[in-house]
Amino acid sequence: MKTEFITLTNKETAAKIVNSKIDAVRVKDITKKGVRVYNNGKIGVSGAIGNIPNETLVQHATENLEADIEYPYEIESNFIDHRNVSSLKMSSESLLETAEEVLLELRNTHDTFWFSEKIAVNEVTYTYQNSEGLDLIYEDSWIELGLILKEKKSANLFDGFIQYIGRTFDKKRFWDFNHAYLTAYSNQVALPEGDKLPVFMLEAPELLGFMNNSLNGERYATGSSIFTGKIGENLFNEKIVLGQNFNPSKTFAPHFDSEGVVLKNDTCHLIENGKLVRVFTDKKTANQYKLPHTGAASGAYDGIPTLTGTRLRFETDSTSIPAVLKGKPAVLVVASAGGDFTPEGSFAAPIQVSFLFDGEKIIGKLPEFSIRSHLYKMLGEDYIGTFDNPFYIAENSQLHGFYMTISR
Amino acid sequence: MYIFPKHLYTDVRIEETFETKLSYKKEVLQEQKVRNNKGAFIRVFDGVRWFYASTTELDTIQAQIDRLASMATPNKAIDSNAIVKQFEVHKDQLLQYTNQSVSDIDITVKKNLLESYLTLIPSETVVHHSSYYVDNKTIKSIFSSKGTAVTFDKQTCGIRINLELAHGDNKDQTSVSKAGIFFDDILNLNDFFNSEFKKDIEFVKNAIPVEPGQYTVLLSPLATGVFTHESFGHKSESDFMVGDETMKAEWAIGKNVGTKILTIIDDGQVRGNGYVPYDDEGTKGKKTYIITEGKLTGRLHSTGTSASLEEDLTGNARAMNFEFEPIVRMTTTYIEKGKRPLADIISEIDKGIFVDNINHGSGMSTFTIAPSRAYMIENGKITKPVRISVITGNVFETLGEVDALSEEFELLSFVGGGCGKMEQWPLPVGFGGPYTRVRKLTVQ
Repeated sequence: MKTEFITLTNKETAAKIVNSKIDAVRVKDITKKGVRVYNNGKIGVSGAIGNIPNETLVQHATENLEADIEYPYEIESNFIDHRNVSSLKMSSESLLETAEEVLLELRNTHDTFWFSEKIAVNEVTYTYQNSEGLDLIYEDSWIELGLILKEKKSANLFDGFIQYIGRTFDKKRFWDFNHAYLTAYSNQVALPEGDKLPVFMLEAPELLGFMNNSLNGERYATGSSIFTGKIGENLFNEKIVLGQNFNPSKTFAPHFDSEGVVLKNDTCHLIENGKLVRVFTDKKTANQYKLPHTGAASGAYDGIPTLTGTRLRFETDSTSIPAVLKGKPAVLVVASAGGDFTPEGSFAAPIQVSFLFDGEKIIGKLPEFSIRSHLYKMLGEDYIGTFDNPFYIAENSQLHGFYMTISR
Repeated sequence: MYIFPKHLYTDVRIEETFETKLSYKKEVLQEQKVRNNKGAFIRVFDGVRWFYASTTELDTIQAQIDRLASMATPNKAIDSNAIVKQFEVHKDQLLQYTNQSVSDIDITVKKNLLESYLTLIPSETVVHHSSYYVDNKTIKSIFSSKGTAVTFDKQTCGIRINLELAHGDNKDQTSVSKAGIFFDDILNLNDFFNSEFKKDIEFVKNAIPVEPGQYTVLLSPLATGVFTHESFGHKSESDFMVGDETMKAEWAIGKNVGTKILTIIDDGQVRGNGYVPYDDEGTKGKKTYIITEGKLTGRLHSTGTSASLEEDLTGNARAMNFEFEPIVRMTTTYIEKGKRPLADIISEIDKGIFVDNINHGSGMSTFTIAPSRAYMIENGKITKPVRISVITGNVFETLGEVDALSEEFELLSFVGGGCGKMEQWPLPVGFGGPYTRVRKLTVQ
C-alpha cells in the first residue's frame, strides 16, 4: 500500500478595521491534514483539522478504500522540491504598528472616506509527501491589505477598495499610488465620447473564470466547452499566451497540483500566440479522454484529486499602455460586481467604480455604466494587451486591456 | 468550565461538525468523504478593542483565553459597557436532531438515494454530469463571562446535480439542487428533478440571445430571493451603518423605500439554510420586519451594531465557521407573499422577461442577477427561451418598481454556494418569496 500525507498550516495575525480604526486583533493557527492510501488500483482518503496522529488518519483512509474508488494511475515519486518564497519580515507586533500607521495616514489625508475590513500577515506551509519519495514543500508569507472604502457622503454600502498583497511592503510606492487614487475620487469626470472605449481591468476575474470553465479537459472532451474540437485553431489575437501558472511567487499558492505534479518552469501553455494548443487535465481526464496530461488536478486537502479549475494566467505581452493608447482616454475598472458570460461567449457587466486613465495616471472618477462584448472580440480584434500592473496593488499583478462596447 | 479573566468580557464558541460528501461523475463514484471536525473561536473584549483567536486544539481554549486577556487592558467598568450590557444571557440545551441525525444514516443509503436520481437524467443533449450528496450536522456551544451557556444543533442535507449540455453549437451548464433538514426531506424528488431536467434541455435546444434593453421583469421565487438578498438585504445589515451619518439618514426607520405592496422579512427561526436558533453570539434567532408595506421598519444587528445604533438585537451575528468572528449576516430573507394569482400578473405583461433560474447575483449600488434560464413574455404569455448575460438595476430605485406579487410563494434551500461578505464565503442562507414583477430593469 502506498501512502501520501498532505499538511496545510495557516497562521494569520489580522487587524480588523472598522471606520478607519482597529476594532479587533485576530490570531489564527490552523492545521489541516489529509492522508491518501493507494492499493490495488483503488484510493482511500481521510483528513482532519488539528493535530490528529498520522496513524489514525492512515487507518481511516484504509477503511475508506472500501468505497471502491478507482485510481489506477502512477503516483508521483522520487522527487524533492522545497520552495520557500517568503521574504516578508513582519512580526505580529510590527503588523499592528504598520496598520496603525496606514490608518493614521488615511484618517489624516483622506478624511472624506471610511476604511474598513483588514490588514493581515499570513504565513502558510503546504507539504505533500508520499511513501514513494515525493517530498514537496511550499512555504510563504505575505502582507495583505484589503480595505473597503466608503465615501462619507455616499449612501452606497461601499465605493471601492484599497488593496495590496505582497511579500514586501514599499510604503513610498503604496502611498504614491493610493494618494493619487483616493484624490481622483473627488474629481468627477464624464465618460469619454464613443460607443467603444479602451477598458483596463485588474486580473479580469470573469474572463479568467470563463476561460477556466471552457479550457477544462473534461468539458472539452465531452462537448460542452465553447472550444470543443478547436485544438490547433487560431482562435485569438496572436499576442495571447495563456496557460497554467504554478509559480508561487506569482500566484501565492503551491508549485504543485493536487496530485503532486510539478510543471516544467511552473507553467503549461494552453493558448500560444492565439492558437489553442491544449486543454488542462488531471491524470484521470488525460487517461480517459486521451488528452495530454497537464498537471491540473484540484481538490481539498482531504479529498480525492479531481478536475475543476486551475490557476490560469496570461503572459504579459505588452509593455507600454501610453504607447498603445496613443493619447486616447481609457477606463480603469476598480469594481465590477456581477457581470457574466453566456455559454456562447457574450459578456456584459455593470461597472460600479471606474476611473478615467491616461495610461499612466488616474485622472478622475467616472459615473456608473455597463460594458458589453463577446469572448472572441475581447480576445481577438478588441484585445489591447496584458501589461504588468503599473499600480501598487499586488505583487506580480497584471492589467488587461480590451475595447468594450459602452452602455451609458 | 473556563476561568474567565476579571474585568474583561469573554466568550467561547465551540463547533463540532459532521459532514458527508459523495460525488459522482456520470454514474461513477468519485469521492466518498466523512468529516468529523472540532474547532473553537474565542473572543475577549476590554471595552475598546476585541481580541480573537481560532483554534483546532480544544484543550488549549483556556490558554487561548489567557493569551488574549494578556493582550487586552482590564477594564473595571466592562460590565457597564454598552455592548457588554446588550448581550443576551441564555442557558439552554436545544438538541433537536439527535433522533433524526444525518450522522446516523448509513452511507450506503445516501449513495443509493443519489444514484436513484442519476437514473432520471436524460441522454438527450446531456453530454456530461456531476452530482453531489452533501450533509452537515453542527453542534455549537457558546459560553460567556456574562453567564451564557447554550448548546444547540443544526443540520442540512441535499442533492445537487450539475448538467453539461450541448445541442449543436448551443452549450450550457446548469445545476439542479434541493436541500432539506431531514434526510426524508430529500426523498421522493423524482418529479422535481424530471421537471427541471426537461426545462434545461428545452432551454439549450431553443434559447436565443436576448435583444438588450429595458424590460418589465417577472422573477420566480428563486430569482425573487436573490433579488431581495442582493438589492436590499445587504443594505439592511447595520454594520454598514455604524458611525456613518449619511447611511443613517439615507436608511432612516420609517422612510419609504418601496411600493406599498412590499414587505421584506429576515427570519432566523425558519428551518433551512438560514436557521439560527441562537446566533454566534448567543442571541436568540428572531423574525425581523425590515420593510413593512414599503416603509423601512427594521435592520439586522449583531450585539455591537445594536448597541451602537441603540436598536434591539435581531440575532444576526453569524460566522462562516469556527475560524471567523461573527458579523452581521442575513438568515432567511424573503418578500412576503402577495394576493394575486401568477397567471393574472403574467397576462398583464405585453413584452417582458421571465427569470426562472439564476447562476448568481451581486449587490453594490447596482445589483445584478445572472439568469441561467429565462424566457420572453409576449402578449401576456411566456414564450421563447432567451440567453441573458446579466440583469441590472439600481438598488435605490428598484424596490419602488415592484408592482405585483403573486399569492404563490416558496422558500428555498440548496447545497453548494451561499452568501459572501468580505472574507467570509460561503455562508448558508435561506431565501425565496412570491413571483415578483419589476416594472423596469436593464437586460443585457
